[in-house]
Amino acid sequence: MSILRETYYIYLRNLKIWVTQPANVIPSLLISAFLFLAFGGAFASVTRLPGFPAGDYNSFLTAMIIVQAVVFSGADAGIATLTDIMSGYFDKLLLAPINRFSILFSSLLMAGTRALVQAVVVVVIALALGVSFQSGPLGIVVLLLLATLFGMAWSCLGLIIAFKTKSAQATQSSFVIFFPFIFFTSAFMPKEFLEGWFKVAVTLNPVDYVLQSMRVLVIQGWDWGALLPGLWVLAAMTVVFTAAATWLYRRATA
Amino acid sequence: MITVESLVKVYANGTRAVAGIDFAVPGGEFFGFLGPNGAGKSTTLKILSTLLRKTSGHVVVAGHDVDRDPMAVRRSIGFAMQEVGLDDLATGRDFLVLQGLLYRQTRQEARRRAAELMELVGLTPVAGRKVGTYSGGMRRRIDLVAALMHRPPLLFLDEPTTGLDPQSRLAIWEHLEHLNRQGTTIVLTTQTMEEADRLCQRLAIIDRGQIVAQGSSRALKEELGGDVITVRIDASSPEEHQAQTAKAVALARERSYVAAVSASDGGFSISVADSGAAVPDLLRLLHENRIPVKSLAMASPTLDDVFLKHTGHKIRTEDTGGDEMAQAMRPWLGLGKR
Repeated sequence: MSILRETYYIYLRNLKIWVTQPANVIPSLLISAFLFLAFGGAFASVTRLPGFPAGDYNSFLTAMIIVQAVVFSGADAGIATLTDIMSGYFDKLLLAPINRFSILFSSLLMAGTRALVQAVVVVVIALALGVSFQSGPLGIVVLLLLATLFGMAWSCLGLIIAFKTKSAQATQSSFVIFFPFIFFTSAFMPKEFLEGWFKVAVTLNPVDYVLQSMRVLVIQGWDWGALLPGLWVLAAMTVVFTAAATWLYRRATA
Repeated sequence: MITVESLVKVYANGTRAVAGIDFAVPGGEFFGFLGPNGAGKSTTLKILSTLLRKTSGHVVVAGHDVDRDPMAVRRSIGFAMQEVGLDDLATGRDFLVLQGLLYRQTRQEARRRAAELMELVGLTPVAGRKVGTYSGGMRRRIDLVAALMHRPPLLFLDEPTTGLDPQSRLAIWEHLEHLNRQGTTIVLTTQTMEEADRLCQRLAIIDRGQIVAQGSSRALKEELGGDVITVRIDASSPEEHQAQTAKAVALARERSYVAAVSASDGGFSISVADSGAAVPDLLRLLHENRIPVKSLAMASPTLDDVFLKHTGHKIRTEDTGGDEMAQAMRPWLGLGKR
């Protein structure tokens, strides 16, 4: 399958460019550490509320910090693709006798890699803060895989915006629309504690289901009843977003 | 190597960039498109290289129809796009090696070829530096060798020396001449007469999406009637000047090598195929008939004159950079309809 080979080579190029720019890695590390510090500090005593599902707030927070890192990086793949289009390198790739989907797939793989690295950073910080993962080492692996998949699915949104607007600025500022997806969630309070319109918004937000599954792995362990809804939502998100991005990409490069 | 019939490209915004052109390039030829910004040169190359879809017409490149078998066309061509398409964030070596890998070379093959080409164009010392740090001349050279990684039999070059200093330009020209001698068919676009004159065996002059003239630069110039010799007569009075001029014109008309004679300021001009052979005879003739010559000037028609004759304007018109940008938009920025 030459498409695998081509995807791999272009992915390696994307990876190399990403790692040679420390500016790509360091901010997300700092932000993750900062969020632990800020929210962990602010909400530390919340865990004393009756019925709060976690013993310490950092455990409750871990999944949220992974999810926000992934969601806020959602535009990166779109911006990287637009950068290549503006520089003309994209044309160079289109000139080569390759399957054109390898270009798209390599940027999705790159998005997954980015999400994985960010999730690893968060897990390391969490472990250093004494968070104990109830699902054990295997649970950490699954958590990282979920983050990777979520990163690939979510970055399709950035690609879709990029293909639609063809503007790096517009794609860059698309993080504005990502805000509600992170903050209209049960990120800070368990869903049972929420009420009114906010609870409705949280229920409608697909990201919250993914977040809950990830959190279950941290604070509850292998509770399949609690894990599955998020897994289904993530699977659906992956299929729908990837299909939409692929369709737009195909229309744009056919 | 290339056959193009009634090629038309209309962009989604209605711009008729290519308005029905026909041309053919046999294998081994060095062919050039000469024309100003926005003439349709780049659009034509993009269609030939499968980057852009034509509106109508018939295009066969390297034996393959561009619509039916674009993959086979892509395998046979290299395209240097005026620095556009360099990967500024990668090192020169990585950029070339990936290029080779995408054309199905093994990693070892690609590395060897990249090293060989960088040596050829003097980029070995900067092979490990990011392309973004290269000077203008270096960028053109890596752009050129990137198109050569897979040894394509057909090479497209979009204004390969625009914006370069004379020395870098000469170096690129020499590389191109060398490649062509070794059998590579080359099609380039240019805005400069000098480049077209020096490199191209055959030229198509393109303006507003149409080919207005086609042929070797020599044939195109000869179409204008060859060289022009301008003679000014020395005389003490206007009457005498007039008489002497009339006499000289009459004499000149009788010479077999003279194609046309016309009066000009202070004397007359004659068109000849070859001024080098005509001048000695003409001077002898005027001397024997005691016609005093004040001055004699020879001029060969330039491609500028050819361009002017066929288009009615000079090639260096006002800067239409903005239009060119709009036209050069990536095929897929014109999303959907192409």
